[in-house]
Amino acid sequence: MIKSGQIKRQRQVLVVEDQALNRDILGMILENDYEILNAENGLEALEIIQTHLNTLSIVLLDLMMPVMDGFEVLERMRADERMRRIPIIVLTAEKKAELRALQLGAADFIAKPYDAHEVILARVARIIELSEGRQLIRAAERDSLTGLYNPGFFFEYAEQIYRYHPHWSMDAVVVNIERFHSVNDLNGRLFGDTILRTLGDAIREFLRGTEGIACRRDADRFDLYCLHCEDYHTVLQFFQQKLNELSHRVSVRLRMGVCPAFDGVSLVTLFDRAHTACNLVRGSYKTHLMIYNEDMYKRELYSQRLLNDLRQAVEERQFRVYYQPKYDIQSDPPRLNSAEALVRWVHPELGFISPGDFIPLFERNGLIHVVDNYVWSEAAGQIAAWREKLGMTVPLSVNVSRTEVFDPGLEKGLLKLIEDNGLSTKDFKLEITESAYTDEAEQLVAVIEKLREKGFEIEMDDFGSGYSSLNTISSLPIDVLKMDMKFIQNIEENNRDFRLVELILDIARYLKVPVVAEGAETEHQLSLLRDAGCDYVQGYYFSRPLPAEEFENLIRKEIEMKKERKV
Amino acid sequence: MTLQELYTRIDGNYDHAVQIMRMEKLISRYVLKFPSSDLNGSLMEAARSMDPTQLFERAHAMKGVCANMGFDKLAEAVGEITEEFRPGNPRKYTDAEIKDKLARINDMYQRTIDGIHAYEQSL
Repeated sequence: MIKSGQIKRQRQVLVVEDQALNRDILGMILENDYEILNAENGLEALEIIQTHLNTLSIVLLDLMMPVMDGFEVLERMRADERMRRIPIIVLTAEKKAELRALQLGAADFIAKPYDAHEVILARVARIIELSEGRQLIRAAERDSLTGLYNPGFFFEYAEQIYRYHPHWSMDAVVVNIERFHSVNDLNGRLFGDTILRTLGDAIREFLRGTEGIACRRDADRFDLYCLHCEDYHTVLQFFQQKLNELSHRVSVRLRMGVCPAFDGVSLVTLFDRAHTACNLVRGSYKTHLMIYNEDMYKRELYSQRLLNDLRQAVEERQFRVYYQPKYDIQSDPPRLNSAEALVRWVHPELGFISPGDFIPLFERNGLIHVVDNYVWSEAAGQIAAWREKLGMTVPLSVNVSRTEVFDPGLEKGLLKLIEDNGLSTKDFKLEITESAYTDEAEQLVAVIEKLREKGFEIEMDDFGSGYSSLNTISSLPIDVLKMDMKFIQNIEENNRDFRLVELILDIARYLKVPVVAEGAETEHQLSLLRDAGCDYVQGYYFSRPLPAEEFENLIRKEIEMKKERKV
Repeated sequence: MTLQELYTRIDGNYDHAVQIMRMEKLISRYVLKFPSSDLNGSLMEAARSMDPTQLFERAHAMKGVCANMGFDKLAEAVGEITEEFRPGNPRKYTDAEIKDKLARINDMYQRTIDGIHAYEQSL
């Protein structure tokens, strides 16, 4: 074990004094507590300081000396960033000199003739302690790579500005480096660090002489809290230019989000908004700067309202599950095969809310499982209810979001639903969008394989809207392809679109999986799809999504048709 | 001769010396070093040319050391020369008066040195 005493060095004190006797007396006073270095004049002192930059704790400096006086030493030390950290106590008998020395950065003074030795020792100890404390704080408050503040201190100082200078108009600014991890991977970490340092320097240069402060928030995100500026394009250009000068070979793009001060909005919220604005231009080739505005504010309020109201909506059953049928179009006449359970939100104050507004929002905020679980439970209960009431089992498909797939409790939860409602896993189909397969495909495939082993059928939703390669698609565990509705929309007018549909159908045949075409609205579309070999159609041609009680009519009709076929 | 008797003989402030240097043996060590500092020689050299800058710098140096040693009377006398020639201060005395003061400083210094030698011999 290392004891602190063993690693604690004796602090070094430099005594700068031209008179040997005075030097000796000071040395004698300090020698029991400190390691003493001596210099006879300012020039000699600077040489010693240069060679003991990292070990010197304090300088005791006489002012009147030959060769170079104490004032010049003070000035030179103040001008040198490395020397500036060493505290100086001046030795003087004159009040005027004391003031000038303090203005030049001296930390304290020792009067001549010397005070009692206890006074001198106490002063030296106090100044060393203060200086070391300041250095400790500095080490903790600064990011070692860029020299900007660390986030904790940044927010503390920003909060002080915010609280004590409410009349200052301050902007919250977030600067981010596009695809920084790729830049790091391709060019090495050292180059990545150079980028961060250069950006840090540029930010410091921009803020110099202003009341602004900045921090490195995380890997490649920088937060600035600065006086309001009308032209952030120029600021961003300035930062970008500094990075462009680093290398002609590597292209590094910055993006910036700005949130001007809003009355009564907390500092954290201002930075959240600046971050939101910054994220809105992520990946954009044209726009790199976004100023948070009133529209974004309204959208944010609306989103926050939806997030807040979610739990209550579930409790009060504001979510309604609608069912859109899927028909087997190779039968003549087409037969009801199954349906997709789709969620709608009828808010007591906001009215009907489009799933396009709340589903992506809940996905982003990790709350989609609340809605999904609600829909799954309703759908499973509905299959059982129709079977009991009408004597026909209509398999239902439900959407499973990407985050759900990685939920370790997914399989157990689904099997419980099946068991509780007396269903077979074949009755409950799971729709997973094509885009979900793009990242961490291996892990996702493993989960899906297990679900298939239990008998669940997997439908790949929105096929054609993602980026699956033919190579990937052939190895994915799926039972049904659902063709994205944008392929169907123009097949009557556009031969090219129809060729694409035929191509997808060919792929499905190769994979030996049936295809559901979404979005068919006309007789002609239906006939084209049927002739091309498409198996199922889900779209307005047959029915819009219907509430359960209306959907019953379709089931009854199907039962009637079955009877007729038998007759 | 004791150290305290020496301080009395040269109009010094023994208590102040103790306050700074704590122990008599340390005071003794620095008192015995004092004659080798040649501060007075430098001041008297400046007195011959009456160069104000040199007079100020050398008087200032001698005053500092004497004050720290507790040689108060000597420090006070040299302090007068320091203030007389401090840059920016108006002159109060004529050159003749200054020469007279310097001669007295020289005498005081010699008495101090003689005292120190006597003390040294008594050890």
